[in-house]
Order: sequence, then C-alpha cells, then structure tokens
Amino acid sequence: MAGINITGIGWVTAVGMGCGRDYETFAMPWGPLPDINPSDMFKKPYPNFRRMDEYSRLGLTAIAFALIDAGLSEWTRERNIGIIASTVYGCLGTDVDYYKTVIPDRGSNASPALFSYTLANSYLGEAAIRFGLTGTNYVITEQHPPGLAGLQTALDHIIRGDVEKILSGISDVGCPEVFGEPSKVPPGAVFLMLEKSPAREISSYGKLCLDPKGRVIYNGSEIYDFTTLVQKCLAGARYA
Amino acid sequence: MGVDNLKNIESGRVVVTDAAVVTALGNNLDALWQGLMAGESAIRPINRFPVDQGHYKAKIAAHIDDLKAVNDRSMLQHLLDRLFLEMGSVPSDSALITATIKAGADNLESFCRGKQANFQDVLLSSIADIVGAKLGLISNGICVSASCASSTIAVAHGAALIESGRTEAVLVCCGDLITEYAFSGFSALKALSPFPCRPFDRDRKGLSLGEGAAALLLMNADRARRENRNRLGTILGWGITNDATHITAPAKNGRGLVQAVDQALKTAKRKPEDIAAISAHGTGTVYNDLMELNAFRQVFSERKMPLYSIKGAIGHTLGAAGAIEVTLGLKALLSQVIPPTVGFSNPENGAEGQVSPESHPVSGDYLLTTNSGFGGVNAALILGK
Repeated sequence: MAGINITGIGWVTAVGMGCGRDYETFAMPWGPLPDINPSDMFKKPYPNFRRMDEYSRLGLTAIAFALIDAGLSEWTRERNIGIIASTVYGCLGTDVDYYKTVIPDRGSNASPALFSYTLANSYLGEAAIRFGLTGTNYVITEQHPPGLAGLQTALDHIIRGDVEKILSGISDVGCPEVFGEPSKVPPGAVFLMLEKSPAREISSYGKLCLDPKGRVIYNGSEIYDFTTLVQKCLAGARYA
Repeated sequence: MGVDNLKNIESGRVVVTDAAVVTALGNNLDALWQGLMAGESAIRPINRFPVDQGHYKAKIAAHIDDLKAVNDRSMLQHLLDRLFLEMGSVPSDSALITATIKAGADNLESFCRGKQANFQDVLLSSIADIVGAKLGLISNGICVSASCASSTIAVAHGAALIESGRTEAVLVCCGDLITEYAFSGFSALKALSPFPCRPFDRDRKGLSLGEGAAALLLMNADRARRENRNRLGTILGWGITNDATHITAPAKNGRGLVQAVDQALKTAKRKPEDIAAISAHGTGTVYNDLMELNAFRQVFSERKMPLYSIKGAIGHTLGAAGAIEVTLGLKALLSQVIPPTVGFSNPENGAEGQVSPESHPVSGDYLLTTNSGFGGVNAALILGK
C-alpha cells in the first residue's frame, strides 16, 4: 500500500514522556506536565535548554523523543527534514512574560532573551539547530482546533518531495491565567516522524495518506485527531 | 489520494485574480505603488505609544495614522475591515490561509495592563475568525506562523493546495500591527534603526517597523478563466528551508536562502537566467542584507540582478511583509519596472549596480521574491506574469 510511514513517536503529556517504542498506550489528559530533564533526550550538554520558555522546552522535547524513537537523533551532516507543528495558544504565556518586562519602565528593562521566544515557531528553529534539520518548518494554528491541518500540511510536503522526512505534531502549554479563559486543549506535545521509504532498519507504526479531499487516512481508516492516531499506532505496533 | 497519484499531478498555473493591500503609504495598491515610485517613505515619528523617554533605540515607524481600536477589539479588526473594502468578490468555497506573527498584540498589551479587551483577537487564529465571518467562507481557516516569512509561506501553501487539485481557490490574508510589544522587543535586540531604514546601504543601522495587511485570491487557471476573473499574475514556484544556525541571526553564508531559491526555481521549472528581478527581504539590518547579497551572488553568479527592497518606504510589516511584497512584485512584473529602494544611497559591497534609489525598467516574465526570519526560516517564491 502506498503511503507515508510513521517511524517515530515522541511525547510529553501530563502522564509522562518518552518514545513510542517504550510504551504500549498513550493518553493526553488534563493536568500538570512533568519536569523535563534535558539529559534524558540530549547526550551532549545543552545549557540553552534551561533558558528557553516552557512552550519551547515542551515542543523541543517531544521532537527529540520522536527523533530518538525513529533512530534519527544522531547526525553528522545536516538533513532535509522538515517540521510542521500545530498549536492553539503557541507562545502566548511567553508573550505575557515578555510584556511584563516592558511595562514597569516603558521598555528600558525589556528582555531580549524572552523576546527571542515570542514567536510560535522559535522552538522549531532550536530543533533545527540541535538536530541539523534544514527542511521547511513552521507552525499552523487552526480556526477550530483540535484538527489535523498541520498533519495534512506535513503530508503534502513529503508527498510533493519538498523534504526527505518530516516531523508533524501538536504542542500547547495552555491559556495564560491573565486572559481568564479556560484552555481549549490539554497541555502537552506529541510529534510523529514521517518518512516515505526509510533506508535503515526501522519498523513502521503504520501508514498515512491523504484521500482526494485531503482527509488523513491511517492504515485505510480516516482519523480525526492526533491522540487517537497515536493510540492506534501503539496498538498496531503491539500486535504487529 | 496516495503518494503516487499526487506525484503524477502535472504542474498547473496558479493565478492571482485579485489582491488588496493596506500600508502606511495608503489604503490600496495604487497608493502604495505611486508612493513607492515617487520615492516616498511613510516612516516618521511614532505617536501610538510613548517613545520619548530615551528607552528605545528608535522613535520612528511606518504606522497607519488613523487606525483605531473600536470597543474592545484590536486595531487588527479595523485594518482588515479597511483591507476588504478594496477586495472584489471572494468565492465562498475558497480555502482560507492566514498569516501573522502577533495578531492583535495591542489587546495582549491591554490584558497585561489590566484593561478590558477581546481575547479572541489575541490568538493567532484571529485573522481567520474575522475574515471567515466577514466573507462567509464555508471552510475553516488556518494561520501560518513562521516569523517574517509567514505570509510568503501562506502564499506557497495556498499555491500548493491548488496545484495538488484539492481546492480551486484560496484566499491568503495576513496582517500585523505596530505595537509597543513588538517595538520594544526589536529595540531590546538592538535591531531598530534610529533613522528610516536604508536597505543594502553601507550606512544602514537596522530595521524600521511598519504595519499593514494584504489579501490575495489564488485560483486554479481553468476556474479563473471560466469565471472571467482578472489575472494579476501567477505563483509558479516556492521553496522553504531552515538555516539550522541561529535563532535570531541569519546564516552568514546564506545557504538556507540559496536552498530555498533553488527549490523555488525547481518547482517553477525555471533557471536563474529566467529571473528578471528580485524583491528582497532587505530589512536594513547589517546581517540580513549581507546574507541576502551573498545568497543571490551564489544563485545568480556575477550577473547584476536588479534587486529592490520596499522596507525603506513602508517599514518591516513582519508577518504581512511577504504577501505585500508578492502583490507589489506582480505589479512590477506587469509594469516591467521595479520600484526604487527608498533610503538607499551608498551601496554595500556587492550591491553596486543591483540596488537603486530610482525606479528601474526590467525585461522578463519572472520575478523572485524572498523573506527570511527568526528561527532560521527562509522562503522564496517565483512569480510569473
């Protein structure tokens, strides 16, 4: 069957974090996220990690686990691997933190370090640097989440041949309290590694394709959200 | 549709049938074009928030004077209302792809100061909410966020959707505002120029912020013909890459931009010698402009490509920059003349004979437009007549 292989899964959710091959089930419930220790994902020291905002650390960690799970975390030459991430709130919490450094003295204490992370795509740049990923990368926000627009876009890119491989996922830390609005999505991040034909020994969690209307099809069935897709991937891997 | 089916789709032409822009040089494309061709700059002392206490590196920006926040809505709402006064009919089955980096950041400021404001305007999806409701579009919209290349990528994504056959029409809409939020951040990064920015000039000191919005209706060529739509030009190719080098600085060797341009040429099935001119990102920062000159030299060798930047006239409009520049690029192709680079006088090494403070006739059917941004993003589009 023609399709795009899912070769790696990585996540951070309220119930834990890690690689798909280390778990039999997946859930993305509401609740506080676990503390992230960079040495769990990065073999070399990564002092910048602690300086990043929470949203960046979260997404970067899930990306790192997906690359580890796919056997692609080690590299010597840059690779044409892309990343398409979806989010609802993006770095809104960082935006608030940054602007609070502007207010007290009309900008004289504005933090350049925080401002660097006030873009929803900043952490994709961090991932690109850390893992040598030179393919297309950007963030997509849907008008009515949670949906699969980011995954559709990632599939478009790899099917068209823009990239050799592509990571696609979702990442959110929730809606900052200052807005007084409930979060629409639970906190957490999960990323998938997508490849046409892996050249190395790696099993596939299953295959994805787009039907003529752009619907996402996993192993022949339409899927509607990321959580269900990951659950099906792990169930399929268990019985493969 | 499986992998093989999509691979076999023949490249079709994606036509731009309608476009609108609002910038500090005026509320439509004609005003912007005329202002640019006259060498005008809208960069002037800023009056939207206090800048006179010496805390910021600059006191100027290209702001739209009469933009208002009505009730608790962001100024973004007013900007988009004004934008669609200039836009013709948009089919209700159009897919909607929006782009912004900060949406209604003025409302975020209000919340942080304990004031009442509309929360939906703060979200990146706010442009899709506003435009989708205003035009009664059937499908939900998405927002592309990729720093200063956001709307360039939105155009690329829209063109790719049409070429894949999944949709016949795509409305791309983008906008970003000048806020104290963004102004203070670029000041803190020491990226703001104390005088109106001077792209590709040896004496440049940084960028000037601008604000604006753009809308482009992309359509499958057959449908555009069937509906007797205007033809402003075509989107022929696109490329998107990452430098994988630095979060806020471009790769000095320009390799990411070179790869993006190579990809765009490949998608368009064109060669470097087919390109008549380049609409550069040209922010006026030391490193961006050097990087671009380096990258273009690698792609076009010693050929002195006509090259321009519009940021000395309307400032850096952030997530809206790419689509505004596409609209102007199409106008330049149709007119066979490129606008002056306002603010440019003393050429940076390598810019001699390429960049000019005067408008310049060009001859050819294809124009390259590029944008790069934080996070190492590069995006390139090939526009056709």
